[in-house]
Amino acid sequence: MSQTITAAHSAAIDALHTAYLAALDKGDMAAWASTFAADNARYFCISAENDHRGLPLALMYDDCRGRIDDRVSFVTKVWVGTYEPYRTRHFIQRLSCEAAGNNQYRLTSGFTIMMSAEGGTTAVLTSGEYRDLIEIQGDGDKFRAVFRERRAVYDADVLPRYIVFPF
Amino acid sequence: MSSQCTGNYTGKAPAVWPAKVNQIPKEVFGDAALFEEELKTIFYGDCWHIVGHFAEVPNVGDFKTFDLGRVPLLISRGKNNQVRVFYNTCTHRGNQLEVATSGNRKEFECPYHRWLFSLEGALTACPGSKEFAPDFKQENFGLMEVKSAQFMGLIFVTMGKNTPPLTEWLGEIVPPTLSTLLGGDGRLKLLGYQKVRYDSNWKGYNDNDGYHAPMLHTAFRLLNWQGGTTGFQRMTKNGHVVFEAELKAIQNNGFVNDPSLVEFKGSDPARGSRIVQLFPATVMVKHLDIINLRFAIARSHDVTEVHYAYFAHEDDSEELVQHRIRQGSNLLGPCGMISMEDAAIFQRIHIGNQTPGFAEFQKGVTSLMEVPMDVKQNDETGNLPRWEHYRKVMGFKREGEK
Ligand code: FES
Ligand SMILES: [Fe+2]
Repeated sequence: MSQTITAAHSAAIDALHTAYLAALDKGDMAAWASTFAADNARYFCISAENDHRGLPLALMYDDCRGRIDDRVSFVTKVWVGTYEPYRTRHFIQRLSCEAAGNNQYRLTSGFTIMMSAEGGTTAVLTSGEYRDLIEIQGDGDKFRAVFRERRAVYDADVLPRYIVFPF
Repeated sequence: MSSQCTGNYTGKAPAVWPAKVNQIPKEVFGDAALFEEELKTIFYGDCWHIVGHFAEVPNVGDFKTFDLGRVPLLISRGKNNQVRVFYNTCTHRGNQLEVATSGNRKEFECPYHRWLFSLEGALTACPGSKEFAPDFKQENFGLMEVKSAQFMGLIFVTMGKNTPPLTEWLGEIVPPTLSTLLGGDGRLKLLGYQKVRYDSNWKGYNDNDGYHAPMLHTAFRLLNWQGGTTGFQRMTKNGHVVFEAELKAIQNNGFVNDPSLVEFKGSDPARGSRIVQLFPATVMVKHLDIINLRFAIARSHDVTEVHYAYFAHEDDSEELVQHRIRQGSNLLGPCGMISMEDAAIFQRIHIGNQTPGFAEFQKGVTSLMEVPMDVKQNDETGNLPRWEHYRKVMGFKREGEK
């Protein structure tokens, strides 16, 4: 665990975060999915209450790559035309970064999600913490960072609305 | 089926309740004054309300807080393993006793003047009591208990004076489906919650029907998922609905990359889907291998809060528990593949109902004069007996009725 992060790896991780936020803020689900490792990745979105109490149930529980792609279909194929549209703005602040070996890093970041309902005002959707396992893939000067796992632990005990997009 | 609930709402809305049984006046969804009457007559009246399940407080000292309308409740498992429901208020000056949503305590302490209550509600300490009023008796100041009853661990409460016994309230057609939904014996294990607020009247939240499923939920079509033909909807005169559908296992047609999401491991092989909806506001669902109890709080005429609680059965294998976690998380809640749309409708129908006129029920209506009690699986008329019960409980007269 003594591996320290290089400036290049740090920049790759920043680029990954930016790509993730940009994808969601544009409502681009395919771009969201492409921030995860292609072969094996997990995404969880869970309340702080469940997380804190050790209750495993989540709001989104994508424990394999296939279901991350299925979540894209939920939004782009299954739910089309049913929900009240809303746009989001995600803001994050890195809290910790620790090397985990094998070109992997464990990161935590605080996040805030603002939501603007179509025809409505802007409000806070929730805040929370991302707990990530990030991997640097490729070598030489051609490499990129991807999520092996992202766990979005949201703060609201009660969410202010039903949810379409991942956090 | 008797119900002693009788209201005498004297507010304005609705001015007229139509004679035709398939028309519901939209005014009942958007009226703040009516909501106050509903609190008194229904939520604080002679009805039973589901506030939790024993599996949420499995160990001695476990507690959960919940609200019935605006009334704060404290559900506590005492030393003898008995679960009691108290008003969540100190018996001294009324300070809210417990602030946590759940936890485990040895006793409950009010911070204001440090009165101390046992898990069973007895007042065990009250500093300075030598100088209390001459008629003060410590044994008279235990926590106020709310009348409760249980069915397979489901916790019901009532604040009414004339509420019928729970068995009578549930009637005959509810218990068989409800017990199967609760894993056969109610020995459940809590998996977690999804909690959300809907901008919707509690009656709109409860008005989901048997007609919509193949229409609204595109996933059924995309997955070529058939509801089967052996299902039914049965209603009681006091507003409960029991729904069962076969829900044949899907042949994966390639729409989902990970078919485990819609797999049926057959923890209840007879039926893919069982829904029990109890008047006024509780919906409970067994869908595939998901056991989902939805504890609802009517917050105002405009807001309904729902705590979707998910469970496994105590005897489940590790693998089945994991499957239930995966399926529950992704299929049925406020973000579920086949239920996010229901949530969207709760809010959209509330917006649409702020207009003049009536919610018009059509599918399955055979008579305009008689409330239907014989209803098919995919009819929307299953909701009409509940509306009729609501109308009577609140004391609305039909057009032309004396
Ligand atoms: S209000 Fe609780 S001790 Fe006084
Ligand atoms: Fe539905």
